[in-house]
Amino acid sequence: MKETDRKAYLYIMPSLVLALLFSFIPLLKTFVESFLTISQQGKVLGFAGLGNYISLFHDTAFIASVKNTVIFILLFLPLNTFFTLLAATLTRRKKSLTAIPEFIFFTPLAFSLSALALIFKEMFRGKVSIINRLFGLDIAWLDESFPAMAVLVILGIFLDFAFDYILLLSAFRGTDRSIIEAAEIDGASGATLFFRIELPAIQNMLAVIIFMALKDALLISAPVMVLTEGGPFRSTETIMYYYYLEAFRSGNRATGTTIAVLMVGLSAAIMTLLSRRRRDV
Amino acid sequence: MYKAIRIILLCLLSVIVLFPLFYAFSTSFFTPQDFTAENAKLLPSSLSLRNYELALSHRYFGRYVLNSFITATLTAFLRAAISAMTAFAFTHLRFKGQKAILTLLLTTLFIPPDAMLYENYVTVARLSLLDSYLGIVLPSLFSASAMLITIGAYLSTDRDIYDAARIDGSRDPRYILSILLPLTAPVTITVFIQAFISSFNSYLWPLLITTRPKMRTVQVGIMMLGFAEEGEYGAQSASIILITLPFLLLLAAGRKAIEKALQGGISS
Repeated sequence: MKETDRKAYLYIMPSLVLALLFSFIPLLKTFVESFLTISQQGKVLGFAGLGNYISLFHDTAFIASVKNTVIFILLFLPLNTFFTLLAATLTRRKKSLTAIPEFIFFTPLAFSLSALALIFKEMFRGKVSIINRLFGLDIAWLDESFPAMAVLVILGIFLDFAFDYILLLSAFRGTDRSIIEAAEIDGASGATLFFRIELPAIQNMLAVIIFMALKDALLISAPVMVLTEGGPFRSTETIMYYYYLEAFRSGNRATGTTIAVLMVGLSAAIMTLLSRRRRDV
Repeated sequence: MYKAIRIILLCLLSVIVLFPLFYAFSTSFFTPQDFTAENAKLLPSSLSLRNYELALSHRYFGRYVLNSFITATLTAFLRAAISAMTAFAFTHLRFKGQKAILTLLLTTLFIPPDAMLYENYVTVARLSLLDSYLGIVLPSLFSASAMLITIGAYLSTDRDIYDAARIDGSRDPRYILSILLPLTAPVTITVFIQAFISSFNSYLWPLLITTRPKMRTVQVGIMMLGFAEEGEYGAQSASIILITLPFLLLLAAGRKAIEKALQGGISS
C-alpha cells in the first residue's frame, strides 16, 4: 500500500467503521434474516423464502398498523404543509413588527419530543381537559380512536412546524426580488403575484419539505410511544411502533426484520425523489 | 382588507403556537387542587414555587440533565471531528477507491436508523456498552449529511494554502487544526449545533439502551420522574419548563446561527 493511501484510510477510518457497524452490516443482516426462520433464541432453523413476508401480510395487527400510518400521513401531510406555508407566507416580507411572530414561530424548536408530549397529555387529559373547556367540547381525547389520532397529528405538526417554517421563510426571502418588483410595476395584484410568481419560486423547497414530512410520517414511532403507546385499542399503532413492539417486546424476529426491510425500501424511494429535488433548492 | 386579515391570522397562529408553552408555564404553578378543579383552569390560584422546589429536589432530575449535556456535547464534538477528518481526506488527499468509499458513505443517507434499531441494540450490547455514555452516542457519531456539508466547505478553501503549509513542513493534523478549521468555522459550528440538538432531543435510542436511572438522559427520564403518578402534575410541568427554558434563551440569543445550522442540513 502506498504511503499516501495509508494516511488517507486512517483519516476516513472512523467514518467507515461507524457506517459499516451501524448502517451496512445491520441492513445486510436484517435483509438476510428476513428470508430465514429464526428461533426466539436466535438460532437459524432454516430457509423461509418469502414465508416471513407472506405471514406479515396475513398479520392483522400489521395490516392495522399500515392503515393507521396511512391515516396519519393523510391527515398530517396536508395540514402540516398548510400551516407552515401559511405562517411563512404571512411573515415573508420583512416589516416593522414581523420579527415578533417570526420569533414566536421559531420557539417550538425549544421543545423536545417528550416535553411536548407530556404537555399535550395534560392539555388533552380526558373530558375535563383545558382544550375541551376552551372550545366547549366534550371529547375524551386520548381514550377515543379518532380523537387520539387527531392529537397525534397535532403533536406531529408542532414537532415539525418551526423547522419547516424556517426553511420556507428563507426560500421566500431568497427569491430574486427584481422579478417580484417588475411584476408589481406591471400592476400585478397581490394574489396574482403570490400564486403566479412567489409560490412557484419556492416550489422546490416546498417539495423537499413535503418529501421530508412524508418520510418522517411514514417512520413515525417515538411520538406514538410517548403520547398514546398505540392506544386506545391499537388505533394509533403505526408501522414502526409495531416494529418496535415486535422486535423488543415480543421478541418476534421475523416480523421485525421483514418490516425493517420494507421500510428501508420505502424510505429509500422517498429519499431518492427528495434528493432529485434537493439539488435544485 | 388584506392587512387586517393578515394581522388576525398572525395573532391566531401565534396564540396556537405559544399555547403549549404558556400552558406548561402556567401549570408549573398549579397546586394539586388546581388540576382537579371542576372546570379546567387556565391560570394558577397562586404563584408558589413549590413545584420547582419539588422538581429540583428530585433524586435524579439533575443527573438526567447532566447526562443529556454530556452525551449531546460528546456527540457534537466527535461528529464534528470525524466529519473534519473524513472531509479532509476526500478533499485534500488522493487515494485508491476514493469515489467508491464516498458513494458507500453517502448511501447511509438512505438507511433510516429507526429501522436498524434492533440490530444496533444487539451490536451495542455485544460491545458491552449498554448503560454507558459511549453506547448512547456511538450510533449517531457518523452523519453523512454532516460529512457532506464539511466537504462542501473544504472544497471552497484555497488549495495553495495547503501546498504552502506542506512545503513549510507543517503536518496534516497541524494544518487541519490551525488553518482549515478556523477558515471553515461556520460549517463546523453548523455541524456542532445540529448534532447537539439532535442528540439532546433523541428519545428512542437512549430509552432502549439505558436501564439504570443514573444513566438516563433527560428526555427519557422526564417521562419517568413519577410526579404524575403521585398526582404532582405541577412538578412535572415545572421540570418541563426547567429543561425547555434554557433552550428558549439559547434560541433567542443564537437565532441566526441556529437558523443557518438547520438550513445547512438541507441544502447539501
